Amino acid sequence: MVRLKSRYLLCEINVAAPCNRLLLDDRAVNGAVREAVANAHGDYGASRCGIGFTVKYLNAHTGIVFLRFPKSCYRLIWSALPFITVIENRGRKVHCSLNCLHVGGTIRTCQKFLVRYNTQQLHRMLPKCKSEKEKEQVREAILSCSINPTKGRRGGFEDEVDSGEEEEE
Amino acid sequence: MSVFMDLNISFTKDIKRLRNLIETAANLGFSTVAINYVYEPNLKDKRVIPKPMQVSALFNKLPVVQGKSRPITVLSRLTIMASDASHFRQNAAEFRFYDLLAVQPTSEKLFHAVCMMMDVDIICITVTEKLPFFFKRAPVKGAIERGLAFEISYSAAIRDSTMRRYTLANSACLMERCKGKNVIVSSGTDQPLELRGPYDISNLGLLFGLSEGDSKAAVSSTCRSVLLHAETRRTACGIIYTIQTPPESSHQQGHEAPPLDDNRPTSEGAEPPPDSEDLAMPPAAKRTKPAPI
Repeated sequence: MVRLKSRYLLCEINVAAPCNRLLLDDRAVNGAVREAVANAHGDYGASRCGIGFTVKYLNAHTGIVFLRFPKSCYRLIWSALPFITVIENRGRKVHCSLNCLHVGGTIRTCQKFLVRYNTQQLHRMLPKCKSEKEKEQVREAILSCSINPTKGRRGGFEDEVDSGEEEEE
Repeated sequence: MSVFMDLNISFTKDIKRLRNLIETAANLGFSTVAINYVYEPNLKDKRVIPKPMQVSALFNKLPVVQGKSRPITVLSRLTIMASDASHFRQNAAEFRFYDLLAVQPTSEKLFHAVCMMMDVDIICITVTEKLPFFFKRAPVKGAIERGLAFEISYSAAIRDSTMRRYTLANSACLMERCKGKNVIVSSGTDQPLELRGPYDISNLGLLFGLSEGDSKAAVSSTCRSVLLHAETRRTACGIIYTIQTPPESSHQQGHEAPPLDDNRPTSEGAEPPPDSEDLAMPPAAKRTKPAPI
């Protein structure tokens, strides 16, 4: 069967101060990636990046971003991502680094990975909780992590990502 | 699931930044990091070989590695930037304190000496300037046979576009000679935002000229073999090692040889190490003189 194959890269944006992360949006990330690929691979890279590449999802609170690349050139574009040091949005510069967590063939596999990853992050946060109440909240959040089929893909996804957010800062 | 290591994290006097660096490395998934202290005999104010900081001074409890349940291991490493073999004193007493030894040669003669004869673990390749000399196949092959690793650090490439060209060009030169064997890639940075995750680095390895398998090995299995090489270098070919017994016990030192090696006499070439004058040193394997091969 003929099918357009692509690769979805699940990345995490690390910033020095969490408040800066809220300044990011898809267009800024899009522009930053294109610029980095053009710098690293020149016109050839910029052209491969031109049509197939999009930013599918960005969560400014956690810094998770889904990038979609065509399957034929994803390694090339991926190799330019470590060179991103700053993302500019409406004149404000955010110093950051991109860390790739997972490469998947579909958004759904990346989502499944993200649920497992968030569960792991909550486990890591558990020892750092300062009060019993916080610990209870984190434990509840861990147990409720799942891809919720009833609320629809995007909704359920944001749900379990947000439930981990209370303890983040 | 393999173990990822970053063997070059620059030491900074800013403790908070160093702590941040190690926490970021643990978050990214590195199981082992090595704090790098640079020693330049040529510069006037850097004549003294620095002493590594104790890890317990940094953290009470080491951060846990992302994706695993063990805490991160922090080692110490000394890089000697030299252009002449006389600067490098073999078996200097200060080298004992470090887990890893590295040399960054800036002349052809020293490169040859380091590859064939000297007792180090890592050879650093200059990435911030044009190569001062070309690699020849003979010393490179000798180094690979001895188990030394060539190190390329990528943080200069991230910072600046001209450095990026030098890094890629120099690493391409190296790959021609060594065909991707015994290469490690590490960060060499002191900024937490310049650290990159292990999968990103193994992708960068493709740009450096490594094959896919080699570039993953550059962050995992080759690093591990460097650590093992360092251990055997420190402990007389890995056969004899001494343990400093705790100060309360009556006898000073204990010699231990594993039962496998019955043929070799236990004190071959190894003198009993000096009395434990520095009780402050944590009970770790003390270095004895390497047995003549």
